[in-house]
Amino acid sequence: MGFPHKSHPRETPVLSTHFGDSEARSLSGWRARGGYRALEQALGMTPAEIVNVVKDSGLRGRGGAGFPTGLKWSFMKPGDGKPHYLCCNADESEPGTFKDREIMRWTPHALIEGCAIASHAIGAETCYIYIRGEFTEPLQTVGAALDEAYRDGILGKSAMGTGKRIDIYIHKGAGAYICGEETALMNSIEGRRGNPRIKPPFPAVAGLFGQPTTINNVETLAAVPPILTNGAEWYKAMSLSNPKSTGTKLFSVCGNIARPGNYEVTMGFPFREFLHDICGGARPGHTLKAVIPGGSSVPIQTMQEADATLMDYEGFVANGSMLGSGGVIVFDDSVCMVRMIGRLARFYAHESCAQCTQCREGTAWVTKILERMENGGGTTRDLDTLLELSENMTGKTICVLSDSCAAPVVSGIQKFRHEFEAHINGKRCPMRSAAAA
Amino acid sequence: MATLTVNGTDVTVRDGATILDAARQIGIDVPTLCWYPTLPIVGNCRVCLVSVEGSAKLLPACATTAADGMKVTTESYAAVENRRGVLGMLLERYPAERIDERGAQNEFERMVKRYGVSVENRSGLPLRAGDDRAGDPMIQHDMSTCILCTRCVRACADIQVVGVLDVAYRGDHAEIIVGADGNPEHAGCTWCGECVRVCPTGAIHDVLPLAKFARDAMQKPATSVRSVCPYCGVGCQLDLEVRGTDVVRVNSPWIEEATPNMGSTCVKGRFGTDFVLHRDRLTTPLIRKGWVKRDGRWRYEGDPADVKRWGRRGGPWRDIEGESNTQKSRPRINPLRRLPTVGGPLGDPRDRVATPADWYEPFREGTWEEAMEIVAQELTRLRDSHGSDSLAVFCSAKCSNEENYVLQRLFRAGIGTNNVDHCTRLCHSSSVSAMQRAMNTSAASGSMREVECESDVIFLLGANTTESHPVFGAALKRAQRRGAKLIVADPRRIELAQRADIHLQMLPGTDVALLNAMLHHVIHLGLHDQAFIRERTHGFDEVARAVEPYTPERAETISGIPAHLIRRAAELYARGPRSSTLWAMGLTQHRTGTDIVASLLNLILATGMIGRWGAAMLPIRGQNNVQGASDVGAIPMVYTDYQPVTDPSIRHRFAQAWGVPDERLSLTPGLKVTQIVTKGSPVRGMYIMGENPIISDPDVAHAEEWFLGLEFLAVHDLFLTETARYADVVLPGASFAEKDGTYVNTERRVQLARKAIPAPGAARGDLEILLELSNRIGLPTPFSTAADVMEEIASVTPSWRGITHARLQETGGLQYPVEHATHPGTAFLFADRFPTADGKATLVPVEFLPPAELPDEEFPFWMNTGRQLYHWHTGTMTRRSQGLDSREPVPTVELSPADAAEMGVRDGDAVRITSRRNSIEIAVRLSPRVARHQVFVPMHYREAAANLLTNPALDPYAHIPEFKVCAVRIEPVAPGRHRALSVERIEPLVPAD
Repeated sequence: MGFPHKSHPRETPVLSTHFGDSEARSLSGWRARGGYRALEQALGMTPAEIVNVVKDSGLRGRGGAGFPTGLKWSFMKPGDGKPHYLCCNADESEPGTFKDREIMRWTPHALIEGCAIASHAIGAETCYIYIRGEFTEPLQTVGAALDEAYRDGILGKSAMGTGKRIDIYIHKGAGAYICGEETALMNSIEGRRGNPRIKPPFPAVAGLFGQPTTINNVETLAAVPPILTNGAEWYKAMSLSNPKSTGTKLFSVCGNIARPGNYEVTMGFPFREFLHDICGGARPGHTLKAVIPGGSSVPIQTMQEADATLMDYEGFVANGSMLGSGGVIVFDDSVCMVRMIGRLARFYAHESCAQCTQCREGTAWVTKILERMENGGGTTRDLDTLLELSENMTGKTICVLSDSCAAPVVSGIQKFRHEFEAHINGKRCPMRSAAAA
Repeated sequence: MATLTVNGTDVTVRDGATILDAARQIGIDVPTLCWYPTLPIVGNCRVCLVSVEGSAKLLPACATTAADGMKVTTESYAAVENRRGVLGMLLERYPAERIDERGAQNEFERMVKRYGVSVENRSGLPLRAGDDRAGDPMIQHDMSTCILCTRCVRACADIQVVGVLDVAYRGDHAEIIVGADGNPEHAGCTWCGECVRVCPTGAIHDVLPLAKFARDAMQKPATSVRSVCPYCGVGCQLDLEVRGTDVVRVNSPWIEEATPNMGSTCVKGRFGTDFVLHRDRLTTPLIRKGWVKRDGRWRYEGDPADVKRWGRRGGPWRDIEGESNTQKSRPRINPLRRLPTVGGPLGDPRDRVATPADWYEPFREGTWEEAMEIVAQELTRLRDSHGSDSLAVFCSAKCSNEENYVLQRLFRAGIGTNNVDHCTRLCHSSSVSAMQRAMNTSAASGSMREVECESDVIFLLGANTTESHPVFGAALKRAQRRGAKLIVADPRRIELAQRADIHLQMLPGTDVALLNAMLHHVIHLGLHDQAFIRERTHGFDEVARAVEPYTPERAETISGIPAHLIRRAAELYARGPRSSTLWAMGLTQHRTGTDIVASLLNLILATGMIGRWGAAMLPIRGQNNVQGASDVGAIPMVYTDYQPVTDPSIRHRFAQAWGVPDERLSLTPGLKVTQIVTKGSPVRGMYIMGENPIISDPDVAHAEEWFLGLEFLAVHDLFLTETARYADVVLPGASFAEKDGTYVNTERRVQLARKAIPAPGAARGDLEILLELSNRIGLPTPFSTAADVMEEIASVTPSWRGITHARLQETGGLQYPVEHATHPGTAFLFADRFPTADGKATLVPVEFLPPAELPDEEFPFWMNTGRQLYHWHTGTMTRRSQGLDSREPVPTVELSPADAAEMGVRDGDAVRITSRRNSIEIAVRLSPRVARHQVFVPMHYREAAANLLTNPALDPYAHIPEFKVCAVRIEPVAPGRHRALSVERIEPLVPAD
C-alpha cells in the first residue's frame, strides 16, 4: 500500500476508511471520526445483546479459519465463577499478509474499541493484545493509543465510567511464527515456550492460564464497532455472493502484480476483477501463472481456478484453495514454482515448534528434497516421497503448521507437475538456465 | 464412567480416562513414545494415533478422552501407516543401521521392528546433535539417538521438580539442552538419573564404571534382581542388573509398580552402589598380628616393638585428630570436567578413595576358622571372667532385620547382656522416647504416599529432605505443586525452605520455644481440636498452662523467628484440614531432643493432626533399616516390638522361644551407645557389625581413645573402616547385593531384598557369620536362611505376625502391623485409639532449655552438622563410589558470604574451625543457605571430621548427643596456604581433549 492511501473506486472501505489519515490515530481524531460511540453503546447493552448483534451480522473470523465470531463469543458462559480472558491475535506472521499491521498503524483505536466491546461481550475484564515483535511501528501506535484510552478513562477500573473493569495489555511477541497459533500464543503470554496445545480442551473451556478464553484476530475485532454502530443488517447486506460470507474483507496483495497493497472489498467480489482491475493485473510483459490467495498456508491456485473464484470463504474452497488470512501472493511466468515452494517449505521448517514428529522431521525433509530438486538433483521417486510425506504431515499433528507446509507442496505438484518434471529431467532449473541464457 | 469398544472388545473406564487408558486396561498394547505414566500428556510423538469411528482424522490415544460408545481400532490401516511414517521419519536422523547389526536394543528400536519399518536412510539429513555432557562421571548423552520425545524434560520438571532439561531451538534444529549454558551444575541438577530412566532410546544414559573395570562382565547376559537401596530410610526398591558375578547397573522398577519410590531413585541409589565392587572390599578375615594359638587357646603376644610404637591395638596411621588438622590438597583435576579412567591423569579413580595401605599393616590374613575361634573364645572369656555386662554389641541400621535379630538374640541369650544398641541412638532415639511416652509408639503413623497425595499442609522440621531423602524430597515438591502448603522450620535456608510457603528460620536448638508458641497461638485462637483432645488425650490442660507464657513475641526473642510468621504458621497448620508433620535430625540431635519432639507431639495432638489419612506423623528415618533394627530389638531396653526387657513375663516368652533358661536373659536394660563409648563404662569387649563409631560418635577424639583401651574388639564390615583398624579380628561381611534379607523403611514398610551376586573372595553372608558365631558360643540356631529367621521373628513380634518372605515377595512389601497371614498391612495408624492402656495419648508439658553450649566471645559461631546429598554418614560407602566422590571430593564448611567477607575469606580458602574440644582444617564453601554466625559442617569426612568438634552433651531420656549445636571459632589459615578448594573453584589443570 502506498502512502497516502488512495482507495480504488471499486473498494468498499469500512476498516480502511481512515488508512493514511494520520489524525485518526489520536484519540481526539478518532472521536471526531465517530470513534468510541460503539463502545459507549455496547457498555449500555447486556453481553448477550452484543453477542446476538454480532451473530446476526454474520461476521466470521478473519484470521484464517472463518469461525462465526458471535458463536465463538457465545461459548463463554457468563457466571461460571471463573475469570474470562480475551486475546487479540496481532501476531500477523503469515507470509503475504499485512492487513492487521495497517489497522494497527492507522486506526489503533478501532482495535482498542473492538477489544473493549468484545471483552464486555464475553465477560472478560482482561484483554491481551499479542503483537508480533517485528511490528515496531504498530507496537508504538497501539501503545500510544492505549495510553490515551487509559488517560481518558475509556479503559481501566471503570471503563467510560460504567463501573465495568476492562484492562488491555500489550504483549510483545519474540519472533516466532507459531505464536500466531492460538494456543501457542497463550503459552507465550503465560511465559512458556510457544508450543501449540492439544485440543480439546478448546480455549473457551481452558485457555489462557487455564481459564475460559476467546481469541480473535485484529481485523475481526476492528470490524465489531462499525457493526454495532450501523447494525447487523447493514453488515449482513454487504455480500455479493452467499449469506454465509458477509461484510468486507481486507486483502493484502503482493508478488508479481502491478499494484500491490491492501484492498478492502465486499465478500463475494470476483477474484479475476480484483486482480486485474483493482490490482492492475500482471506487470508489463508478463502473464500471471498462479496465486496463493490466503496466505502461504493455503493451496496454490492456477489462474484458471482463480479466475473462477468469488472472493469469500466458500468461493475459494470451491476453487481448490481457501480464503485464509487474505494474503494474496501472485506469481507470474518469471517464477520457478519449485524454487518458490521450496522457499515456503524452508519457512515452515524454520518455524516448526518441533513438538510433533511429522512436522519437525517432515518439514526438514521436504525442504531438503525441494532444494535439491531446484538445484537439479531431483529424481522421479522424490515426487512420490514428497506426496507420501505430505500425506503423513496432513491432519496428524497437534496444530496445522505441518498441514500448511504440505498444502503448497501437494497443490504445487498436482497443478504444476510439469515444472517439477522439467527440473528432474533437465537436471537443472529451466527458469534459471533461461535467465542465464 | 464410559463404555467404549477397543478393537472389538468392550471396556468401561473411569471418567476422564483416555483411549490409551482403556486399551491398557484390557491389555491392548498401543505403541507410545512421548507418553509415560504420570508425566503430563503432550501428545507430540504421534505414534499412538488410532482410528475412531466417526472421526475423519486419526486421534491420539494418549490425549483423547474416552467417550461412551466410541469404537476404536488401534491397528487400522491408517493408524499403522501413520505409525510407520512417524517411525520412518524418526529413523532418518537416527543411527539406524545398528538395528540391523545388533537387533533392537531399546524401546524405540523394538517399535521399529514391531512395525517392520525399513531402516534405509532416504533423506540424507544429518544425525541429531546436542549436548554430550562430556566428562560427566554419571550421566552422559548420545544425542544422535534422541527422538525428542521430551520424556526427560518432563520427568525432570514434573517427577523430580528440578527442571534441568528443556527443548531449545525449533524445527529440525531442536535439541534437548542442559540448563541455559550446558552446565548441569548451574541448572541445579542433582544427578538423580530420572532422565536416564525414562529415555526410550538410551540417548541419555548412565556411565557404567564397571564397563571400564570389568569389560568382560559386560559381554555376559544380564539378569535383574530386585533389591532395596542401601542408603536412606525411604526404602527405594531397585532392580540390580547383574552380569556374571557383577552388578553392572542399577535400574528402577517400573513406575506403576507399588514401590515407595514409584520407580525414582536419587543419585546415591542409582549411581552410588559401585562401592560393592570396590577393590577395598575385605575378602578374607583379618587378624591382628600377635594373636597366636597355644595349647588350644588363642592369646595376644604382640611384637613388643610394635606395641610400644602403636599401643596394643594401634597402627602406623595418623588418628582422626591428626588427619583433620592437616592441610588438604586439592584434587589434581576437576573430576567433574573429566571422567577419570584407568589410563587417565587421575590413574585408577578408585585409588583416591582407597583405604590407606598402612591401615592393613597391623593385620595378617586369617582363615574363618581362626577368626571365629578367637571371637567366640574372647566373648565367652570376658563373659565368664568379667560378667555379661562387660560385653556390648553394636548392631547395624544397614543390616537386615534377620541379621540384627540374630545378633541381639546372640548377645541377649548367648552372652546374657542387654548392652545391645545401634546408631538409632544417634538419630531418632529422642523421637522414640518422646513418642513412647506420648502414645506408646516408635514409628511413623502414616505413609509417604498420603503426604504426597493428600495432605493440605506439610510441616517439615529439621529435615533437609531433598538432600538426605531425595526421593521423598521430590515427593514433597510434587505435593506442594499439587497445592499443599509447606512450612519449613530449619536454621538453614535449604532448598525446601526456599520453596516453602513459610520458612521459620530459627536459631539452632530453639525449637521448643517455637513449638510452644505455635501451640499458644493455636489455643488463643481456639483452633485446637477440642473433641479430639477430650476423647483421645490426657494432659492438655497442663500443657495449655505450660505454653501460656510462650507468646509468639517471647518465642521471637528466643528463636529469632518474627512473631507474625509463628502466628501464620500456627494458623496454617491448625486449620489444615489435614496437616502432616515430618521431622528428622534437626529436632532430635539435641540435648533437649526428647523435649523438642514432645513439644511437637503436643502440637500434633492438640490440633488432632494424626490418625486420619492425610494427617501423618512421620519421623523421617535416616538409614535403610534403622526402623527395622529397632523393631527387632537391637536397642537396649526392649525385645522385638518394643517389649520391655524388664518384664519377667515377656522375658519368659523370649527365653522359651530362644531355648534358654529365663535367668540367662537379663532384666536390666542395657547400656546405650553413648553410655558404652565413654570413660568409665564397664564394657571391656565389643562386637561391632557395620558401624563406624570412630567417625560418627560425638567428640570422636575421645571415642577413638576409648576404643584403644578395649580388651577385645571384633568388627564385622565390608571395608577396613576407621573403627575396624583398631580391631583384633575383622570379619568380611556381605553388602546388600550379596544377601537375602528384609529392611523396614520410614513408613513401617517391610521389604525384601534378594541376593544378586556372591560375596567377594572368602567374604561371607552376615547371617551365616552370625549363625556360626551363635553356635560357637553355645546358643543353637534352629534356622539356616533369612526366611527361617523371619519365621521366628514373626512368632515373637505381634505386629509382624503375618509377615513371611513369601508374602513380601508376592506383595512387594507390607506395612506393619500385619496381624495375620492374610492381613494386608496398615497404611496409617491410630484412627480410633492409641496403643496405650486406655487408648489415649498423653500431652507432656515441656519448657525451653537452651543448647548446652552457646556462642560466646571466644567461640562466636554456631556449628551445625549433617549430611550432604552426595555422601552418606561416615563415607564408608559413598567415598568409595566413583561418581559420588567426584561430585563432592573435598570436605567443605558452609559459611555465609557476609561472615566470610568480614574474615577476608574467599570461596575455596582453607579455614580452621576450633571448638572447646578440638579443631579441624577445612575448605570454605560460601553459601547463602546458612545464616550469619552459623556454619554447617558435613559429617562424612575423615580428613576433616565434624565430630571432633561436636559436643557430647546428652539428652537425659534418650542419651542422644547434641550433634546439632556447638560453639566454634573460625580462623583463616595463613595466607598462601589456600590449597583446599571447594568443587566450584577447581580449575582443570589438564586441558580437556
